[in-house]
Amino acid sequence: MKYSLLILLGCLTLLLPVRGAENQAFYRDILVKAINEEDSAKQIALVKELVAAGDELVERGLAAWRVSELFVNSEANGLKVPFVLDTQLDSDGKAKAIRLTDGKFITDAAGKPLLFRANELTAVDNNSRIRRAIKTTLDLFAIGNPVPKLRRDAVIKLGQEQNPEYLPHFQNRLKTETDPEVIKALNEAVALTQTVDADAAVRNPAIIKLGQMRSINAHDFLVQLETKVKADRAKYGEETLQVLQKTIVQIENYQRWGTLFGTAFRGVSLAAVLLVAALGLAITFGLMGVINMAHGEVMAVGAYTTFFVQGVFGSGLLFSLFGKTVTVKGMGLTGGGFDCYFIVSLVASFVMAGLVGLALERGIIRFLYKRPLESLLATWGVSLILQQIFRHTFGSANVQVDAPGFLQGSLVVDDVLFAYNRIFIIGFAGFVVLLTWLLLTKTSLGLQIRAVMQNRTMASCVGVRTDRVNMMTFAFGSGLAGMAGACMTQIANVGPSLGQNYIIDCFMVVVLGGVGNLVGTVSASAGVGITNQVLEPWLGAVLGKITVLTAIILFLQWRPNGLFVTRSRSLD
Amino acid sequence: MKPSFSKILAGAAAGLIALTASAADTVKVGVLHSLSGTMAISETSLKDVLLFTFDEINKKGGVMGKMIEPVVVDPASNWPLFAEKAEELLVKDKVAVVFGCWTSVSRKSCLPVFEKENGLLFYPVQYEGEELSKNIFYTAEAVNQQAIPPVDYMLSEGKKKFYLLGSDYVYPRTTNKILKKYLKSKGIPDSDIEEIYTPFGHTDYQTIVASIKKFAAGGNACIISTLNGDTNVPFFKEFANAGLTSENCPVVSFSISEDEFRGLPAKQLAGHLGCWTYFMSIKTPENEMFVHDFLSWVQAPKVSGIDYTVSGVDPKGRVTCSPMNLSRMGVYLWKQAVEKAGTFDVDKVRDALIGQKFKGPVCEVTMQENHHLINDVFIGETLPTGQFKVIKTFKGVAGEPFSEKFLK
Repeated sequence: MKYSLLILLGCLTLLLPVRGAENQAFYRDILVKAINEEDSAKQIALVKELVAAGDELVERGLAAWRVSELFVNSEANGLKVPFVLDTQLDSDGKAKAIRLTDGKFITDAAGKPLLFRANELTAVDNNSRIRRAIKTTLDLFAIGNPVPKLRRDAVIKLGQEQNPEYLPHFQNRLKTETDPEVIKALNEAVALTQTVDADAAVRNPAIIKLGQMRSINAHDFLVQLETKVKADRAKYGEETLQVLQKTIVQIENYQRWGTLFGTAFRGVSLAAVLLVAALGLAITFGLMGVINMAHGEVMAVGAYTTFFVQGVFGSGLLFSLFGKTVTVKGMGLTGGGFDCYFIVSLVASFVMAGLVGLALERGIIRFLYKRPLESLLATWGVSLILQQIFRHTFGSANVQVDAPGFLQGSLVVDDVLFAYNRIFIIGFAGFVVLLTWLLLTKTSLGLQIRAVMQNRTMASCVGVRTDRVNMMTFAFGSGLAGMAGACMTQIANVGPSLGQNYIIDCFMVVVLGGVGNLVGTVSASAGVGITNQVLEPWLGAVLGKITVLTAIILFLQWRPNGLFVTRSRSLD
Repeated sequence: MKPSFSKILAGAAAGLIALTASAADTVKVGVLHSLSGTMAISETSLKDVLLFTFDEINKKGGVMGKMIEPVVVDPASNWPLFAEKAEELLVKDKVAVVFGCWTSVSRKSCLPVFEKENGLLFYPVQYEGEELSKNIFYTAEAVNQQAIPPVDYMLSEGKKKFYLLGSDYVYPRTTNKILKKYLKSKGIPDSDIEEIYTPFGHTDYQTIVASIKKFAAGGNACIISTLNGDTNVPFFKEFANAGLTSENCPVVSFSISEDEFRGLPAKQLAGHLGCWTYFMSIKTPENEMFVHDFLSWVQAPKVSGIDYTVSGVDPKGRVTCSPMNLSRMGVYLWKQAVEKAGTFDVDKVRDALIGQKFKGPVCEVTMQENHHLINDVFIGETLPTGQFKVIKTFKGVAGEPFSEKFLK
């Protein structure tokens, strides 16, 4: 009776828009009643009635109730009026109170808005049952949310409750919905809800439909249903069981494809991460033969540069330089302007790390070209010094680098996830490899680099300034490491030990690929990345990693020079 | 030669006199926390709060009229060194009690030393249980105080699938073993429990998040995470990018307290859950005072009553958290027991400790005969500010180290 009355009211609202205001008041009254109700079962019933309200203020009140931000004011006339606080705070942290009955501010006798501080008020009680009821009501509101993604999430969630009461809401929405993703989710939700229908004529087509939709979300529910059907064949009938089993196999086959493509993508993405990290080392160690233990810290220079640039674009930052605290005022950008920081920081970290590399080469490494073992010790010392500098400047705790908007979230194609930050790194790896290859093969500097690396003395004899070429090469390699550091901020921790986490992997990839060979580095990172991701689901992260390392050791026993062997006098 | 020799003797005698004189009005207390190495980031805060507590006590007249004299050593996150430093504290410095250790492996490494020398150790960090030494008092949360309550909560919220994710070491493995048994006793089949470990410092969570996504597709799954330290950052980044949220798949993290939050992107963790016996955000007059006093102490750290310079206290962005609160309460429980026993003698203090009650910042705790506390347990939802909002309270949960006692 109550429902039919509601539906009648709903129809009237549609027919006569003038009744809108009264309708609003009607639902707001229900909300007030629900809030003041003592009995929790009645409260829940009242909250459920609010489903059809579609009023912004009611929605706001419910949402606030759920998170304990709804309060009650006893007004002069003895009425208890619920209110929420305005989102705008004044300098004292106080806010105006918005009455849920009419959306106006609560005022004192003189008509001035009263100010409240949230933590001085006592929120209206809630418990998990009421919270769930509120959530359901809000979710049903959310079916009408203007943002398609939120609409879709709400529909998926409601579908999973398999509550036949929601069916009319879904079907109503289907009539007006235009977004293809939401339509898909709605159809799925309808079918999923219908699978628990007592009537086989409704149930079986719904199951078949889920199979046709290749609904991964429905898989668990269908498996549950299968156990139920098996336990009580007489009630459900053989046909349902057959349909179910066929559908489950159908969905699992589809899932298998998804896993295959997912694994392939994850493998390529890990390979790209390794490649980006190792490319700088492939130049400094691979081409130049400097055992550069500070490679990881040069990456960290890039990562901290990104953090710095982020601070400049955003809300500023604090760091200490030689014991003095330096405050950098930020530009306070938000949205797209702020997101640009990442592009700027890629360039900045290349320059910054390049300069560090330059200083390192001029200051230490150039004296040690003929003594590789000593360069190992010296660069290791440099790495320790750099780590301490990071600690002193930015603190020993990790710093936070936010992802720019365009690198958050993921692209979903046929239920396979492609995270934007991973796609970016793959693209970036490709770009950097191309850049390096062009530099080495198509420019005169590249020609000189190759000449010096193959035979330093001879190159020097024919007039190549080997000293300068060494310097440029090392700076370029370090710059690449810096850019790698900037990329790593998007997937890993930025802290003083960032370099330590990557140095082993970098050397592994370069040595496995064959020292002095760019193609080798690319194929080695691809090999290690993909093998790792293929093995991980079977063996787990720990055993997977052990297996990969063992395989590498065995491989190097068999081919000590790595995948691709470069013949060069300087390396012999 | 002779005169100088006698001078040395005289000097030594004078020194001895000075030593006995100072020993008369001070009592030495050991602090055994890593101040360097990987664990320093967590353990330094505990050293700070201990010194703060000693200062609090000394200001009010000390323990039985004696000023607490801290002996701070640095075991440098090196497990065997914990045993050496413990021995040094007990044998060389002859401290009355030691407060210390964070990881279980460090506790296990110095446990034999405390038993051999009959010392006293207070251990303040949530751990996996299955241990009871007469020389250790565990103010820490036992598994039934930290792991079982949130699992119960998740079950009551209608979650039916559990993904147990942890770093690969003794605490996560033991906790998950117990949780698995517990979940089975609650009727969750093996097929709906997934148990996954990653190495320390793991950065690539793609595969794991993909499998979680698949696992949670039915909408009734949750994650119980014992991931340690900063591996949480790549995990939560990947988690958020995959479109997973606290709404469709909540994560309960056992190793993230307010202090760890300082190094994590709080925004990405908002809405997920934590379970501790203390939250900084809990509003009681006692807690507000504790937080206020501690935050002002770190600005000008000192230990009153004795000649001692405090160093290495970071005044910026400090918070209080459960292990810190448990550390502090341990000191007070020990003080009360000493005063009850009327002596610093370990055996007598141990007996006096049983049944000792202390009104902490958020509730009163009682030391039980099994050397664990009866304490209130709170489940909190993380906020973007790095604080927790309490969503459920369990009153007076008695800590029980042995799982067979609470698993039927």
